[in-house]
Amino acid sequence: MTTRARGALMATLLLLAARHAAAQPVRLRADALTAAETPVGLLNLSAEADVTPWLSAQAAVWLGASSAGSGLDPVDDGAGEALIINLEARAADGRAAAKLGRMVAMVGALRPLHLDGAWARASLPWRLQLEAFGGAPVAPGMRARSFDWLVGGRVGRRVGDFGSVGVAYLHQRDHGERATEELALDAGAALGEHGDAAARLTLDLIRVGLAEVQLTTARRWGRWRVEAFASERHASHLLPATSLFSVIGDLGAQRAGAVVAVRAAPRLDVTGALGGRRVDDDLSAEATLRARLYLGDRRAARSRDRRAAATPAIGVLGLELRRQGADLDGWTGARATGWLPVGGVAGGAVSAAAEVELVIPDHDERGAAWPWGLAALTWTRARWEAAVALEASATPQLSSRVDVLARLARRWEAP
Amino acid sequence: MTRRRRFARPGALLVLAGLAACAGVLGLRREGAQRFPHRAHVLAGVGCVRCHAGIAEGVAVGGAAAAAGAAGATPVAPVAPVAPVAPVAPVADDRGALHLPDDASCVAAGCHATPHDARPCGGCHGDGVTRGAAIEAKAHLVFSHQRHASAQVGDCMRCHGGVAQENERLRPPMATCFRCHDHQADQDGRRCAACHVDLVEEGTLPESHLAHDGDFAREHGARAASSAEVCASCHRERFCAGCHAGTTALLPARASFDDPWRASVHRAGFLARHALEARSEPGACATCHQPERCQGCHTRRGVADAAGGVASPHPPGWVGVASNLHGAEARRDPASCASCHGGAGEALCVSCHRVGGVGGNPHPPGYSSRQPRTSLPCRLCHPVGT
Repeated sequence: MTTRARGALMATLLLLAARHAAAQPVRLRADALTAAETPVGLLNLSAEADVTPWLSAQAAVWLGASSAGSGLDPVDDGAGEALIINLEARAADGRAAAKLGRMVAMVGALRPLHLDGAWARASLPWRLQLEAFGGAPVAPGMRARSFDWLVGGRVGRRVGDFGSVGVAYLHQRDHGERATEELALDAGAALGEHGDAAARLTLDLIRVGLAEVQLTTARRWGRWRVEAFASERHASHLLPATSLFSVIGDLGAQRAGAVVAVRAAPRLDVTGALGGRRVDDDLSAEATLRARLYLGDRRAARSRDRRAAATPAIGVLGLELRRQGADLDGWTGARATGWLPVGGVAGGAVSAAAEVELVIPDHDERGAAWPWGLAALTWTRARWEAAVALEASATPQLSSRVDVLARLARRWEAP
Repeated sequence: MTRRRRFARPGALLVLAGLAACAGVLGLRREGAQRFPHRAHVLAGVGCVRCHAGIAEGVAVGGAAAAAGAAGATPVAPVAPVAPVAPVAPVADDRGALHLPDDASCVAAGCHATPHDARPCGGCHGDGVTRGAAIEAKAHLVFSHQRHASAQVGDCMRCHGGVAQENERLRPPMATCFRCHDHQADQDGRRCAACHVDLVEEGTLPESHLAHDGDFAREHGARAASSAEVCASCHRERFCAGCHAGTTALLPARASFDDPWRASVHRAGFLARHALEARSEPGACATCHQPERCQGCHTRRGVADAAGGVASPHPPGWVGVASNLHGAEARRDPASCASCHGGAGEALCVSCHRVGGVGGNPHPPGYSSRQPRTSLPCRLCHPVGT
């Protein structure tokens, strides 16, 4: 089957699913994107429908055409792909649910798994929750690979009203050979009314060792929010066990730091982050200072309900300074952002957005500075949205690069 | 006077002058339309339904008529707490009028019989954001003032308690609802539809959202691991799939190029600095990308194509007797090696690193694996039995 035919088939399935569910609440969205530097087009389609009160369907597919070097990544000319197409059934009391089709399974501390298969969840006595999944990992281009499959599950338990713990397992085979076998632990807890903590840990069971661990805890005091985080990652344990590079050992990469955010003024948020990284014997510091200024009532910026124009839009300005890395990977950067409502045109609201970034690498073999900038105009009216942007940059590979991006979006909702 | 003190005073004055100059911009001094002075009206003894006429009956009432009809109304005294009530079912006034007062309400009621200005009252004494929030609430929440007013015998303050303290927090937080409504079963089952028409479409972030207020791209993985269902109460699966699906054409932030604050790990000029970021955090790319991803993209862009004869990206001394950098770098981030030399490219490595080869044993001290030697990648170097 050609890629064009596959794309047409997916679009047809999507429309059929939407038609079948037409009597129930259904939402469709289409986004058409294009970039001018190298001809590229992309059509994103998504649909969600409640077929019955206990059965829902959802799909997200894209159809596209691109050429080498474009900013978009469709791999083949005239390609089409599905991100998700699945049916989900659930019990009325929410104690059980099952999904069938293409999905992204988010199961505890396991990595997100993109698979064609089934997933189910059930609540058991003693506050236990059981999840199980199985299927074939999704291969780009709808390529069918023989003897690729994965299974796994998670057992979780709620702890009081403040937290939960869980343990998950994954077994994946590529071409019939064991590629991944992981045990993953997760825990999360609310620490009082204004704090929380979360942790995840993944163990590689094939080359027994730690693959990844992440810890984070945050607390809010009035206008202040403080977060501390730490992580360790072992790259070789994240590779499939069938890879030669999984057997050469690796050095853990550690990272730790703290983030402090404060509402410095009614319309001004300031965030500062300070941390460190360690890879082998290389130590480096990272620091970020970020400010965001609302040019009006910040409550307006929290609202996404632009359709009814119920909330007047306000402008927002941002500034970010960043220092990261050391030696070969060190760089210093600054980024400024802005979003402003401009006015009304043809019954719709027009807004302008601008974003500029300047990165100065410590080593200038591939350029002393890498500037990047984007200016965009957006027009929104009811269920229509159109945007156009001009992007310009200099990269280590190209001394200059200019592109024009455009997007047209439409939403449908029924009944 | 020390040098420090000599500069401290002018510096402080400069900061104060700057704050004073920017007070309006920073929100330290309110400009433009003011929020409606609910507190002043409450303290003056003006009953809620005197202005918000008809709200208790669930019927739309015109401004002047409402004011006239409500002119004689008196504030309703608080009543004793009532027993928890069952979740309300949608009724007519869920989608009915907003019951917001207009100029006629203020004038005809006799309170402000002589307006000091000919312009609409709400233009200055009431901001559009509050009005917009009311419109959004009407659209997104399953709520009946009619049902609640009868249950509370007109005691609006029981829910809108914040009005007596300030003019900002008019909509009660969810915790206020839970004082009377027991939604534990709904919470356990992550069923929000009893009150929220469509939480995903509503899209309004809570005032305090620990998971999103920080560095979302870094934090969300740890937090979602133990509370994926909480995420799912607002985010549909396609939100996750936008980044985590292996068939994604482009990241959502790229599609939303006109939203500078869209959370993304690849924001702004990431294309230029991605090599530096990858080196400073080994394995980070591999958590989402397949190892072949790098080579595929580099080949398409013509950046590194071995078949095309592009010069080696490795520095001098990468492989050799006098200098041999590649071993240490490979252990530092084996995923970056796999991004180009994975699959068929592994033959290059095993041409030296094999039993009896000049590359010697690539395993680190203490290496062990549960893989049988007949499986990949063991059999590349270890013929069965060796």
